[in-house]
This record gives sequence, structure tokens and C-alpha cells, in this order.
Amino acid sequence: MSTTVDTLPTVERRSFTTRLLSANTFWIALVLLALIVVFSILAPDSFLTFFNFQQLFIETAVLLVIAVGMTFVIITGGIDLSVGSVLIFAGMISAKTMEWMSPGQDASNAGWGTILVGLVVAILGGSVWGLLNGLLIARAHIPPLIVTLGTLGAALGVASLLNDGTNVRTVPLELRDSLGFGTLEGNIPNLVVVAAIITVIFGFILHTTRFGRYTFAIGSNAEAARRAGIGVTRHLTFVYLLTGFLAGIAGFMSLAYFQSTTISGHTTDNLNAIAAVVMGGTSLFGGLGTILGTVIGVFIPAVLQKGFNIIGVQPYWQMIAVGAVLVAAVWFDQHRRRAQNKR
Amino acid sequence: MTAVLQAQNIVKHYGSVEALRGASFEVGSGEVVALIGDNGAGKSTLVKCLSGAEIPDSGTITIDGRQVTLDSPVTARRLGIETVYQDLAVAPDLDPAANLFLGREIRRKGLLGALGVLDKAEMRRQAAEEFTRLGVTLQSIDVPIGSLSGGQRQSVAVARSVVWASKVVFMDEPTAALGVVQREKVLDVIRRVRDEGMAVVLISHNMPEVLSVSDRVEVLRLGRRVARFTAADATLEDLVGAMTGALTQEDAA
Amino acid sequence: MSTRTLILTGAVLAAGALLTACGGKIGENNAAPSSQSSGGGAASGNKNLELVVGVKNEPFYISMQCGAEAAAKSAGYTLNTQAPDKFDPTLQGPIVTALGAKKPAALLIAPTDDKTMAPQMKTIKDMGVKIIEVDTALQDTSVAASSISSDNTQGGKLAAQTIAKLTSGKTGSVLVLDTKAGTSTTAARAKGFEEELKTAAPNLKSIGIQFTDNEPAVAAQKVTAAISSTPDLIGVFATNLNTGEGAATGLRSAGKVGQVQLVGFDASPSEVEGLKNGAFQALIAQDPATIGKVGVEQAVNAIEGKSVQRNISAPLVALTKDDMTNKAEFFYKTKC
Repeated sequence: MSTTVDTLPTVERRSFTTRLLSANTFWIALVLLALIVVFSILAPDSFLTFFNFQQLFIETAVLLVIAVGMTFVIITGGIDLSVGSVLIFAGMISAKTMEWMSPGQDASNAGWGTILVGLVVAILGGSVWGLLNGLLIARAHIPPLIVTLGTLGAALGVASLLNDGTNVRTVPLELRDSLGFGTLEGNIPNLVVVAAIITVIFGFILHTTRFGRYTFAIGSNAEAARRAGIGVTRHLTFVYLLTGFLAGIAGFMSLAYFQSTTISGHTTDNLNAIAAVVMGGTSLFGGLGTILGTVIGVFIPAVLQKGFNIIGVQPYWQMIAVGAVLVAAVWFDQHRRRAQNKR
Repeated sequence: MTAVLQAQNIVKHYGSVEALRGASFEVGSGEVVALIGDNGAGKSTLVKCLSGAEIPDSGTITIDGRQVTLDSPVTARRLGIETVYQDLAVAPDLDPAANLFLGREIRRKGLLGALGVLDKAEMRRQAAEEFTRLGVTLQSIDVPIGSLSGGQRQSVAVARSVVWASKVVFMDEPTAALGVVQREKVLDVIRRVRDEGMAVVLISHNMPEVLSVSDRVEVLRLGRRVARFTAADATLEDLVGAMTGALTQEDAA
Repeated sequence: MSTRTLILTGAVLAAGALLTACGGKIGENNAAPSSQSSGGGAASGNKNLELVVGVKNEPFYISMQCGAEAAAKSAGYTLNTQAPDKFDPTLQGPIVTALGAKKPAALLIAPTDDKTMAPQMKTIKDMGVKIIEVDTALQDTSVAASSISSDNTQGGKLAAQTIAKLTSGKTGSVLVLDTKAGTSTTAARAKGFEEELKTAAPNLKSIGIQFTDNEPAVAAQKVTAAISSTPDLIGVFATNLNTGEGAATGLRSAGKVGQVQLVGFDASPSEVEGLKNGAFQALIAQDPATIGKVGVEQAVNAIEGKSVQRNISAPLVALTKDDMTNKAEFFYKTKC
């Protein structure tokens, strides 16, 4: 046997700097930081204000909640196109329930009891669609693209049936003033607090628990996961259920914020969420991704939009720039990753 | 020597095709047994039957003298049988420690553990220990396994089976597609495991390798065991003869 | 990566196609080819009118239907109404084609596309059915006997006058929220607003038209960004329901409800609710019931050989919180 020690079995982790530099999130965070710096220089009085960032956080809150769920799905190598419709369905069934519970079908003055029931109904409504997606994908083995394309239409259809295709008329004012526009000490909007708590909880689940580890393993190599004794079918079902659950919460948040079921809106939420997740360094092939990256991926287009609006760039240019940044971010990320893996 | 794992008269049909026609096989602790045979001789089917991936139509399997039914890989694993698959079956985006503990993660103690929180530091520490013990060299413990060389990836896959097996490890072509140096490293790992008292079953097409690493050789032909050799006494010609049918041993079946 | 992205893009395109394809239920049952049996369709004594609106369950069209039904009844005609599931010519086309078998005396229609709906409508016309356009119209003016619509430019002008009144001579900036680039009705509203603002309110300055993709979320973003960049923002004109709801949300989020005057378009139940609770300061309402009523009157004239007026503008009206109770007939209805 050879006695030469060619490569010492280094059991240590890489140094902090090495890990930082090889983290996808680090680079995409730099892009976000650069955008903020540029807009702050161009419009210091109007961009770099508490008000502006407060609004920025509020306006991204709903999308962030959806994108967190989408991160799990994409890490398993799947996709969920139905989130926007499920969001509307959850909002609709919740609003209808609250109207139904109120005298004269007018939920404007509904109390907390009614609102809580509305919340539970929204979450259940979202979860049911998520479960349906999960069962069809994991058990019936229909590709996620097709399943969620189907539920994209179906969820919106059912939502439309519930109120003859129109928005509900009344949403509790108490809900609007608390979740929708209420703030904590120091003017921190409740909507943002809710989104932040959800993000932290699910970031924790993804990155520290066994559930998260299995999510990565399945996306990386489902067959290996199966052979390692992981219940892949069960786990995948749970992941889609989770996305539906979060879409349900997002639907309730949207209801509180817009005071409307916005039945003809949210048509591009699915794509915005996918774009944010991918921009944040999560691989569409699965196995790779972070919640922090997704948070940054949600904020990059939002900051761009906001900044362009404030400095008065023509709206058509905004579309071009957001599209270009998306493609460039992913290209840059892949390029760097390929260079890193070349050996 | 007493057999840890013994199979007798295993029959397995796939439709009208008879893949195994009463095959027998045995391996004892602390020995490396090479299972060889021409393509279609039934090697893969036999390994699948013994690792729980396929259920035989008839025949008996005993572990430590007790008859068992291996109805799934999970059952086999619980009985101490691990398999290194030809197609690796690692998760390339996870680091070596995560792969080593895949499906057997260590959780934190207390409340966090009950919530499913992993003890990553402990897993990394134990993984490092195991890799050192088995002589697997890695630059670091926290890079994705996909960025490692083929040999290192294979070593991790082998290590994973070895660490968790308490009785038998099946290795289906573990050195295929490896360079000379890397191949030696994997074979080193196999020898170390054997020396620790594990039963190792090696499926290989590489006859010099078979003769250099194994203690015994069992030969399959047309779904039956046709010959058994002690590696030290066998020659390349013997093995090839048995595989092609030029040489048969009456008592082998 | 690339294949997956391609699949994704394809999927999104396919999603639209699928949704479209799933909807086409109406009219399938008797989609008889329209070419057989031409001529002499509308025999005298045929008292059947057909109304094909732009989309199902839209309060605007329901109100139009109500007005048309009432007018038909008093003229001694019967009116049947059909609607596609979406505002889409591929769904509306089959409904019109199927009328070939039914041959009503007149067809009142809100064409969902100013070009692609022309052939179907012509075929029906060639069978002797009188065509009356309500709300929207074809580019080809030779098909319909009469067109009744709201003057969207006029609606925009009315919005400018309303905002001038609401701000009562103060100086400041005004933001206009359009839907998608290339939507002719909302574009006309925005244009009319910008033109009239110069004369009606010289103290007010427009900071330009922003597009919202018809998404409430985008409208809210545009409003809060405008508040950041333009501290003297005093008014917002939202050209339809979704932009109005989004703008209201943006203003509430910025704590500017009531300080920035919000003028919306249309009078759907949710907007009326918003006017009542102060989210909107004014709504520019169309008068769909009158459009329906006049449409039926013109149809009857055409059938009975009386004189028909080619183009008719329906009135618009500004609703504010103070006068809304007197003008309740202009609220759009969800049922007659």
C-alpha cells in the first residue's frame, strides 16, 4: 500500500470566505445592492426614503409568500403554474364565506370571529388545490407542468363560479385596517411582518430540517432518494400542498390589501414567482436553491420598477430592463457555476 | 466458515424468460466474494433478489441461518444488507456528508430534533471520521458531490453502503468508468471493509481485478451456479472456462 | 436549462390557448354552417332580437341587457341574450355563426374585436338580419345599420373636468393609469383626459400615462412610486376597474386617501362601494342601460323600415359621493 499522503483527508469545511464567494446568493445580493446604490444616487430625495422602502416591502409581501412556496417546488425539480389562480380562489372563497356569515351579505363591518373563519377558509381553500396538485403529480405521475396548467384554469374557473365571475362587493374593514394597512410600532406594516415571519419559518424548514434536506435530495436525484428509503411520493405531495397552503395565505393577504378578490388580476403571479426564484439562484433542474436568494430575487424586479418609476423612465423601457436583468442574472449565475464545476 | 447470507435454488421469471433457474449463492463474513458470469447469466437479477429490489418466484434466502423474506430494499437494509448501484445513486447537489446520511439523518437533541432539525455539525463530524477510517480522501466535506471527481463520488457511494451495512455489501461494478489510481482507491476501501469482518459481494467484468481483490469466486451461467473457486488457486483460464461452459464443477449447483 | 425554459415559455403560451379552448361552450350545440339557406331570413313578423355582449357576468353588460330587454318588451319584441365566457373573438365568433340557424330579425352585438368579428357578422347580415353595434364597433362601417357607444374620449374629458372641480383651483400633479398598451377604449379615455386637463385645469399638470397591465398590484406600485417622486401629487385618474382598485390600495397604503383625488371609470358594485366609503372621490359612469335601450329602438326602426341613425353617442355621467344617491340608476347592475 502506498504510504504517500497525496491529499490529506481534510475533514474541515472550507473557509468562510470561500463559502461566501461560491454562494449564489452572495453575487445576486451584490446586484440588488448595486441597483439600490444607483437609484439612491440618481434620486436621493425620493428613492432613499423610509416611505419608499416601506411601500416597496408592502408591495412585494404577497409575491414573496408565493415565491417561498415556489422555491420548495422548484428545488424538487417541479413547477407550479397554478399559484395565481389558487390565490384568487382562496381569496374568493374566504370573502364569500365572510359575506355569507354577515347580515345582508355585507361583510364590511364583520368582526374578528368572521375574519378568523375567513382566514381558515382561505388557507384550507389553497391547501386543497395544493393537495390535488400533489396527488396528481406524485401519485398519478402526471408532469407538474400539465397538472398545474390544468389547475391554473380550474381554480380560476371555480373562483369565478362562486360569484358569477365578478369581484365580491364587500371585504371587512377591520381586516383592511389590521392586516391590510395596519402597522406595528415604528410604522412597520403588518403585511410585511406576516410575510417576513413566513419567509423565516420556511427558510428555517428548508435549510435546517429533514423535510428541507429531503426536498433537496429529491430534486437532486429522485431515484437516489427513493433508494435511500425516502418516501418520495409522500414528500412531493407535501411540497405541493405547502405551495397551495402558502398561496392560500397570500390570497388572504391580497384580500386584506386590495379589499377585492381581484379576479382578473394575478395573471402573471406564477411567472413572477418563478422568475424571482430562478433569479435567486435556484436551479430549474432542482436540487439547488435558497430562500434568501428568492427574497433577493423578489426584490430585484421590484426595486427596478420602483426606481424607474421614480426617476421617470418610460414604461416600455422598464419592461425591457426587467426582462434583461432576469436573463442576465441567470446567465451570469450559470456561467459562474459552470466555471466552478469545471474540473 | 459459516455463511452470513445464503441463497438456495432461487428461481425468477420475467414473463416467459427464465432469468434464474435455481441459482445458489453464499457469502461469509470477512470475505470478498466475486460474482461473475457472462452477460445474461443472471448476475444482476440475483443481486436484485438478494438486495430486496426483486422478489424471487421460489427459493430460500437465509441470513445467519434464519430464513428471511426480502420484499423491499428497506427490509434488506434493515437486515444489514446494503447495495452500491452501478449508476451511483447519489444526490449530486448535496455534500458528501449529506449523501452519507441520506435517509438516516441525525437530528438535534430535544425540542428542535422533534421538529425535524438536523444536527449538521454532528453529521459532518461523523462523516469525516468514516471517510478517514475508510481512506476516502476529499478536499472538503461541504462541496456538492457533483463537483467531485468520478472516483471520489464512487468512493462516497461505496462508503455510504459500507457505513450502514452490518452484514453484507453488494457492489455492482463499483470500479467501472474509473481511472487506474481511482480504481485502486476503491479496491482499498473494499479490502478495509472486508478486514473489519463485513461480507462483500463484488460483481465485476474485470477478471484481474476479481482475482486480486476477492477471496472466493462464484460463477453464474444460464441462471445457475456452475463453479466455485478459491481466488488464490484459480487462474484466469479457469474463470473464463467456467463462464463459457468449457469447465463445470458437479458439486457447484 | 434551455429546454426547460422553452417548455416553460411554451407552457405559458399553451396555458392561454388551453383556457381559451376550454371556454367555447356556448353555441356549440347548434353551430350550423351559416351558408346554407341564405336570403329572406328576417321575414316580416319575425319579432326575435338577439343580443350578443362582450363577456359573461360583467355588470356593464348586464345593465345593458336590462335596458335592452325593457325596450324590447315595450316595443313588442322578444330579446335573447348570449355571452362568451371571456372577452375574446374566438369565443364570440361561434355564437354569432350559430345564429345563422336561428335567423333573428336583428342582432345587437358588442364585437370583441374590431376586425376579426367582421366576417361572421357579415354572413349574418347577408341573411337579412339587421346588425346593430352596441358599446364596441367594427372598423368596417358598412356592416352595421347603427352603432351606439359611449364616447370614451368624452369620458376622459369629463374625468378631467371632475378632477378640476374636486381640486378647486389648487396646483399640483396628476397621474393617469392606463391598462395595457394598445387597449383602444382606455387609451381614448386617457387621451381625452390629458387634452381636457390643459384647458379645464391649467393649475394641474399631468405627469404622464402609466401602464398597469390591468393588474391591481401594478397600479398600486405606480401610485406609491408617483407619491415618492412627485410630492405635489393631487389627483389620479384610473381608466378602468382594476386600475381603480389598485390605485385605491396604493393611496391607502401611503395614507393619502382623500388627499389625492381618485377618479375611477365605470360604476361596478365594488367601485360604488369604494365611492361610498371614500376610496374614490368620483366615478365616470357609462350608461349601458341607455345603450341597450337605444340599440333596441334602432333595431326596431331598421326592421320596420323606419329611418335609422348611423352613429349615436351614449351619455356619460360623473358620480361623486354627494350626488350618488340621486344618480343610483347609473350604478351597474348584477341582475335586472
